[in-house]
Amino acid sequence: MRALSIAATGMLAQQTNVEVIANNLANMNTTGYKQQRAEFQDLLYQNVEQAGAQSSDTGTLLPSGIQLGAGVRTASVYRIVSQGSLTSTSNPYDLAINGMGYFRVTMPDGTDAYTRAGNFGLSPEGQIVTDKGYVVAPGIAIPANATGVLINAQGQVQASIPGQTAPASVGQLELTRFPNEAGLSAIGDNLFAETPSSGAPQSGVPGSTGYGTIQQGFLEGANVNAVEEMTSLITAQRAYEMNSKVITAADEMLQQTARLGGA
Amino acid sequence: MENSLLVSLSQQLAAYQSMDVIANNIANVSTPGYRREEQTFQEYVEQVSPPEGQDGPTRISFVQDAGIVRDLSEGAQQQTGAPFDLAIHGKGYFVVQTPNGERYTRNGHFALDTSGQIVDDSGNPLQGEGGAISITPDDGDIHIGADGTLSGKNGQLGKLRLVAFADEAALKKEGACAYSATEQPQPAASATVTQGALESSNVQPVVEISRMIDVMRAYQATATLTQSQEDLLRQAIDKLGQTPAS
Repeated sequence: MRALSIAATGMLAQQTNVEVIANNLANMNTTGYKQQRAEFQDLLYQNVEQAGAQSSDTGTLLPSGIQLGAGVRTASVYRIVSQGSLTSTSNPYDLAINGMGYFRVTMPDGTDAYTRAGNFGLSPEGQIVTDKGYVVAPGIAIPANATGVLINAQGQVQASIPGQTAPASVGQLELTRFPNEAGLSAIGDNLFAETPSSGAPQSGVPGSTGYGTIQQGFLEGANVNAVEEMTSLITAQRAYEMNSKVITAADEMLQQTARLGGA
Repeated sequence: MENSLLVSLSQQLAAYQSMDVIANNIANVSTPGYRREEQTFQEYVEQVSPPEGQDGPTRISFVQDAGIVRDLSEGAQQQTGAPFDLAIHGKGYFVVQTPNGERYTRNGHFALDTSGQIVDDSGNPLQGEGGAISITPDDGDIHIGADGTLSGKNGQLGKLRLVAFADEAALKKEGACAYSATEQPQPAASATVTQGALESSNVQPVVEISRMIDVMRAYQATATLTQSQEDLLRQAIDKLGQTPAS
């Protein structure tokens, strides 16, 4: 009985849906987190009778055919890369990107990763690093005697040095963008890695065409909408339940069949 | 006698198939652009002649599957906020170019690929009026108007090709929410596009569940009928086959 396996595909799909929603809700307060969404597609169809086939010699056509479906599958879980809200933190090394782009981070193994979570700090050597201690490209060192750091919208990092009237420029932050940022692969710790579907990274100066600007003292919150997630959760749960009802009904029909012929 | 068993059998097969169609509707309750389907049946009449000198039915009706009708009504629009999630309002389909030719879909979930083309979940390019549409990061945020015009920071980028069909029911399902057509598509005049939304499946859970109960009960009733006929047969064989004791 096909209904059993069709309903099973439905339950599996809704399970994925609930998992994605759970992950969104769990990351509601994660800096730079981007909401994900599960996307479904119907499976292939078995053609029993083709619509438009001739039903008689005089050329009358069948108005509708018979195509039996096989259920549903998860087509993709995609990231919605809209801007999250900016929250003021007053920490000079909290940087939010307003607009497109990612900070490039050098991983311990030398590869590059990308992030929008700008909760940075300083390493013992005075370099700007992520909360895991990975260096934020291009690796800007703040002099140890600096009394203040100013990072402007274009990513210029300036340090106030005692005894100097004008702040000294110590580096320039860069942003990286991708032809298809939804294609980046999430590797945990708010970091993303380049994939063949994201396209090659392009670096640029914040504030130039196609790149966002940098806000010092702000963090980008998650773009998860709790109300939306809760309603999706209810819908997914109910859909799961309905698929399980189909299994029960199909099972009852099969039981009935099995009882036939019994004395 | 056997006829009634065969009539029951035809009904039970029909119920199995109805159940499969309902299960597929329920499984696709969250599939964007999915259209619910309903199995229809027709009567198949066979002329029989009762045995000589006896009364009996002269016609027997069997159940036969006639077709699966697609409900073409529009699903509700669900906001997603993703810039390339598009919903069509009115009669119309998006066109995607697949290796097997053009496919038509109402599932408006698209994304960008490496080269900046707008593609569907399988990577097939969405067709504009002049072929595939490419976007560069320099275009900034893309706005898609109700008529399907795409524009970025540097002006217009193209227009989505929306098509309609004279006979929508004749479209053949290809899976993955896509349809193929034998008919030449016409430009969709009345369709409008909403950006940041997807058209939900038009499956109504309450309808499907009540249909499901309906089918299940009909099946059970027939199964009971089959059972009692079988009992009758068994008794007949027992009674008639008994040899006198002595």
